Formats: sequence, structure tokens, C-alpha cells
Amino acid sequence: MSDKDLLQMFKVVAERVDKKSFADITRESVITDLGVDSLSMMQIVGEMETELDLQIPDEDLVEIVTVGDLCAKIENRMGA
Amino acid sequence: MPRNTPRRRIEEKLYAQYMDFFEKAERERRWNVFDDIPWDEANPEASDDLALCAETFASVEMFLPDYTAGGLNVVRDYFGRAWFQANWGYEESKHSLALGEWLVRSGKRSKDEWFDLQESLLQMRKWQPLFTTARQMTAYGMIQEQATFLIYVKHRERARQENDACLAKIYDYVARDERAHSKFYQDVIKVLMEEDREGTLVDIAHVLANFKMPGVDLVPDYDERILKMRDAGIDRNVFIRKIYLPVLKYLGVSRHEMLSAQRKAIDAQKKAQANDDATHAAE
Repeated sequence: MSDKDLLQMFKVVAERVDKKSFADITRESVITDLGVDSLSMMQIVGEMETELDLQIPDEDLVEIVTVGDLCAKIENRMGA
Repeated sequence: MPRNTPRRRIEEKLYAQYMDFFEKAERERRWNVFDDIPWDEANPEASDDLALCAETFASVEMFLPDYTAGGLNVVRDYFGRAWFQANWGYEESKHSLALGEWLVRSGKRSKDEWFDLQESLLQMRKWQPLFTTARQMTAYGMIQEQATFLIYVKHRERARQENDACLAKIYDYVARDERAHSKFYQDVIKVLMEEDREGTLVDIAHVLANFKMPGVDLVPDYDERILKMRDAGIDRNVFIRKIYLPVLKYLGVSRHEMLSAQRKAIDAQKKAQANDDATHAAE
């Protein structure tokens, strides 16, 4: 799965969870700046984990600041 | 009176938990505003932001009559929880008292300003419970008290940095109380999960989705005040790191089990909304 695919997946899942458009996001977008609160963030991560059948360790979650951070954590698990 | 019922089993476990909580409170955690706070170590030179935050906390704590009445009404039929609520009211009553006394004794507010604030808050606003069932209110207490504990710990550090040993001590006692309250609520939730795991988790998910701190609708200029409170190091990540994940771990719930409960809570809310809409349309 490419960078672009993961970004697209984040966008689709975030729109489903938060019921708003995330059209302009990039890997550099800070998740809280997108108006995504902590709970929605946990939901987005969980939905992506389910779809990709992987699990990011809890201790890694607190390091996620940008969309790119989340994509990188997923890429790490996919490569693990 | 039937004895081997789920309700009776829950009541017996919660009574035992309350007795455990109360014993620790009586033996190890009691403090009083007269002897245990070093009032002469309040720092009149402390910053205005420190005073504003203390005033905000005191204001939120001041709605105690509403919290106590709301909380007790929801749990009055459950012995252990009702007695906890009564004890909770006593402990919380000291929080606003101590913070208010600090505001006046430190010279940050005059006595008149303090009474004006009390009058204006309680006459103009009233706290309404966000949730209607005992289980949902317990889940709310579990999250809210843990959040409050963390906020007070941060502000204890801030008070120390500003050389106010008096306020630091107050925050120390208050944080300790809030931590004990959150722990009791977490233990209650564990018991409730033994009888109805799925329903309890859906209630927790519902509470999380609709959660807001009590001060939001009560304290004037709350949004501006919260910015000052965040200066002490309270941010959104703290919620995940110090509240969400530790609470789930203590309850023995995985993130994915919680996610599943979140989906069910969303479905239930949609159904309730559709029923409401249908009722209104029929009227």
C-alpha cells in the first residue's frame, strides 16, 4: 500500500467518523488542527487498524501528531 | 425479598467496595482546611494567571449543591453508591472552600469579590446532569474525576514554581481526593461489567462521545479561562495518554472492544434520534 493510498484511507475513515470533509489534508497536517478530537482520533486509528488487520502498540499512539505520523506507524506495522 | 438477583449481587459487591473506599478515606486521606493548609505560605506576588485558574476551579467546584442533588437522585436506590455520593459531597465541599479561602487570604480577591462571584454563579446558572442513568453517571464520574485529578496535579506544579506552598498544598489534597473518586468509579464500572459487559461498555462509549467538563456551561468566559489552564501543560494528548488508555487497561478492555462499543453506541443514538423524530412528526 502506497503513501497515497494510506492518506486516502485516512481521509475516507476520518470523514466517516467525523462527518465532515477532509479534502485538503496532507501528511504534514496536524491532526488536532483538523478539528479531530482525541476520541475521534482513537476511532479513526481503530477503524484503520481493523481495515488493514494490524495493531499499533498503545505506547506508539501518543507519538502521533500529524497524519504522516499515523501513516508511518501503519507502514511500520505492515513491514513488521 | 429475592436474594440471588443480579441487582443484589451488584449491591453486595458495591457495598464492600464502598466500605473499602471509606475506610481508606477515614484512615489515610482526611484533611481539614483549618489545620492542614499552610495559609501563611500563600504568595501575594503569585501571577494573576495562577489566581484566575484557582478562581475557575473554585467556580466549578461551587456548583456542589447541583452536583450532589443530581448525583444522589440518580443513585438513591443503590446503597453503596448513594453513601459514596454523600461522602463525595463532603470531600468536594472542602475543595471550593479551600480555593476560595486562598483567593481571599492571598489578597488575589477581596472578600466582596468572592461573595459576588458565589452569588452571581449560583443565582444565574444551574448544572444539569448530562446523563440520566446511574451507570452512565458512574462512567462520567470515572472520566471526569480522572481528568480533574490530572489538571490539579499540573497546577500543583505550577503553584510550586510560583513559590506558593499554600496553593500547592491545596491542589495536593484536592488531587488526591479526585484520584480516589475516579478509582472508586472505575471499581464500580468493573463490577457492573461483570454483570453486563456489553451494555456497560456501550454506556461508557456514549459518555465519551457526549463528554464535557462540568465548567463548560457554568463558568463565564470558560473558553478564555481554559486557555490559561492549558498553559500548565494540559492538552488533548493527555486525554489519550493519561485517561483513555490507562482507564481501558484498568478495566481490562482492549481498544478494539471499545471501538466496537462505540459503533453500537452510535447506532443506538441514531435509533433514539429516529424515534424522537418520528414522535415529533406524529404530533
